[in-house]
Amino acid sequence: MIAPTAPLVAAPAATTGPRRAVTRLAVRQVRRGATIVTVVAGAMSAVVVATYEGVIAGAPGGAASLTALAANPAIRTLFGAPVALDDAGGFTVWRLGTVLTVLVGTWAALTAVRVLRGEEDTGRWDLLLAGRVPATAAVSRHLAVLVTAVLVVGAAVTAALLAAGTDPTGAVVHGGSIALVGAFFVGVGGLTAQLWPSRGPAAGAAVAVLVAGLLARMVADGVETLGWLGWLSPFGLVAMARPYDTDRVLPLAVLAAAALVVLVVAVGTAGRRDVRGGVRPTRVRRSRTALLRSLPGSAVRATLRPLAGWAVGIGAFFLLIGLIAESMTRFLLDNPQFADLARQAGFELDAVQGYAATLFALLAVPLGGFTATRIAALAHAETTRRLDLLLGAPITRLRLLAVEAGTAAGGALALTATAGVAVWAGTSLTGAPLGLGAASAGAANTLPITALGLAFALLALGWAPRAVVAVGMVPAAGGFLLTVLADSVDAPAWVAALSPFTHLAPVPAAPPDVPAAVAMSVVAVGVAVLAALGYQRRDIRGD
Amino acid sequence: MPVPSLHHDVPALRTENLTKRYGRLLALDGLDLSVAAGQVFGFLGPNGAGKSTTIRLLLGLARPTAGRAVVFDVPAQDVAAAHAHLAYVPADVALWPGLTGAEILALLAAVGPGTDLAYRDELVERFALDPSLPGRAYSSGNRQKVALVAAFATRAPLLVLDEPTSGLDPLMEQQFRAVVRAARDRGQTVFLSSHQLAEVEAVCDRVAILRAGRLVEVADVAELRALHRTEVTAIVRGPVPDLRSVAAVEGLQVDVPAGGAAGTSRLRFTLTGAPAAALRALAPTDVVSLRLREPGLEEVFLGYYDSARDGGDQDARVAP
Repeated sequence: MIAPTAPLVAAPAATTGPRRAVTRLAVRQVRRGATIVTVVAGAMSAVVVATYEGVIAGAPGGAASLTALAANPAIRTLFGAPVALDDAGGFTVWRLGTVLTVLVGTWAALTAVRVLRGEEDTGRWDLLLAGRVPATAAVSRHLAVLVTAVLVVGAAVTAALLAAGTDPTGAVVHGGSIALVGAFFVGVGGLTAQLWPSRGPAAGAAVAVLVAGLLARMVADGVETLGWLGWLSPFGLVAMARPYDTDRVLPLAVLAAAALVVLVVAVGTAGRRDVRGGVRPTRVRRSRTALLRSLPGSAVRATLRPLAGWAVGIGAFFLLIGLIAESMTRFLLDNPQFADLARQAGFELDAVQGYAATLFALLAVPLGGFTATRIAALAHAETTRRLDLLLGAPITRLRLLAVEAGTAAGGALALTATAGVAVWAGTSLTGAPLGLGAASAGAANTLPITALGLAFALLALGWAPRAVVAVGMVPAAGGFLLTVLADSVDAPAWVAALSPFTHLAPVPAAPPDVPAAVAMSVVAVGVAVLAALGYQRRDIRGD
Repeated sequence: MPVPSLHHDVPALRTENLTKRYGRLLALDGLDLSVAAGQVFGFLGPNGAGKSTTIRLLLGLARPTAGRAVVFDVPAQDVAAAHAHLAYVPADVALWPGLTGAEILALLAAVGPGTDLAYRDELVERFALDPSLPGRAYSSGNRQKVALVAAFATRAPLLVLDEPTSGLDPLMEQQFRAVVRAARDRGQTVFLSSHQLAEVEAVCDRVAILRAGRLVEVADVAELRALHRTEVTAIVRGPVPDLRSVAAVEGLQVDVPAGGAAGTSRLRFTLTGAPAAALRALAPTDVVSLRLREPGLEEVFLGYYDSARDGGDQDARVAP
């Protein structure tokens, strides 16, 4: 019972302000991921820049092999045009710049969506916003913490480059580029988190912006008359900054301004909508129960919409690869000495087949993302206690796992086929010599890595359900990073062998490596069995 | 869909030494419980007593540290077989935010133990549920209604309900009680975990009370009622009768009533069992007024909750 003498307005008991408490909450939510991204970005930069002199410049063939590598159109498409390969810093920028900006941008966008819309979805923000902090302040504090985090990532890269003794201006420009791309995607994630009323679509929309930015840069690089597209893409803008070459500041200023605009709009939008709502009110639609008459049907139904989003992204990317294949490879035909040099250095790149093979390998990375997010959706249904209703029915966990894994695998197959058809469509339109069979084989060649990714995601679901996405990304994205790093520093063979990409034959330029594919598939099946054991043994947990 | 009569021969639910440990926390400590088929069985206890843990173990959502649970002679771990006999309403109903109520009901009917669609439509009416809204638009009470409609429409021989009415309004609470009674009349067993003591008193045949992971009482509600002690207050004029020799009388207090006329006395005592002897002792006296008060079963339950204080259980406090 409250004593009648109790004061009506209590003095705040906490010694710090409510806004600082929100900041501390935001720091707690992002610090682990931020630390990992900082360490990965800093360490990769440090390793590549430190081994440049001994490994790359002093390699047999020296500058020639490096030029051949840089001239590989597939490599150019992936890593951008090289600008200062004779410099340790310039080489590091070319080799890691795109990979790190994509990594930091993806992390920034998805984390912004997670800490804003994800937390709001769970209802925790109802509690938070019942306090003294208005929604706009809560959003701006979270975004500020994330922007600080990407600034730290950029600073780590700059520090790694400075420590190796590279030109300070270039180091600052490159570190700043990575931080600014991160800040821009913090804003994009922050904005989509306000516009869409749930986490999945908001994350999808943010990633779509990122993919569109990558595509715009690739077109700007590959098609001279469309070079202006680079100004519309954060990745294009940082490429135009040319660290260790001209160190242009204007593109970075444009990127900084764009990031600021997106961040301000995100905060402004937060003040103009209902908590737990989007900018538009939720529509009431007619109920459609056709696919809900069975467990597999409902799993397919839940997958269709995200699958469509992934298909559009992957389809657009690989259509573009197909469209520019001819113009990229023609460069080599016109400069046969490059092709000879490249062949001496061990690159098969004088044909569209070699180009396509290199880029098809990349398909495993988004597919790893797709399977990891599908299994993460199952983990999410568990922590939000949605699974309780399903598992209260006569459904075994093994069956649920098999249905969900099967649906994810089916979706991955559909996406693989989409990539093959998209490349073929692109090459057909431009008259490049690549048949549908060859294109499909190139895409299908990556399936063992996709199977590994799915199996790893399931393993995490069975034993450590909070880590599904991180563990599920290890074979594809982790393997890709490892391959890039191993190639760049001439790492010992056993390090490179850890990456599944090492065991991928360049299909369709070469026949598939069947024993390696079988071995990877066997490992995937073994890991999946282990996953099923864990999933059946453990408790179903809520948040 | 009639309930198979076979189910009446075996207990609907049985646990043997069911134990669950979460790290250092012993959530459930050797529970032995049997729920006969056809009963409405109340499962009571303070917050953190282990009620939801028990239910998650019964459903195979959590794995026991020791012991076992059996649903109609099927081990709870064999969910494909065990769940063919039961329907479940979770304590904290979480729905798929993108699916409408109708879609969720369709999905649960598809994966569940068989649903009476006509009865489901009736239940949607009775609970005044609008099934056209998406899951994210439902309030917590309406989310519970979706799960209740899905569960009661199954006609499964066992209904496991974990605090199913915590978000329902009083009218819906009445509907819930009616639906539970209808289920019992149909032969279904209802396992009802609840904090609504009045609800338990109204619908349950038998109750178990759990405290700090241990079973402290299992009794028929009728038995608990028989344990009732009646509180008696009598005001008499003249000499005070001697009630101390009456066996059924306890806690006798005699004082002067506030504002009472001169020469009157107030007697207060509790009466256990038959009142005849006490009434005979009072009969020769000039009784001015006589008041009998029967404490509700709620107070009996609260007694069990409250004695948790002696056990030092921090969570098990119930405000007086």
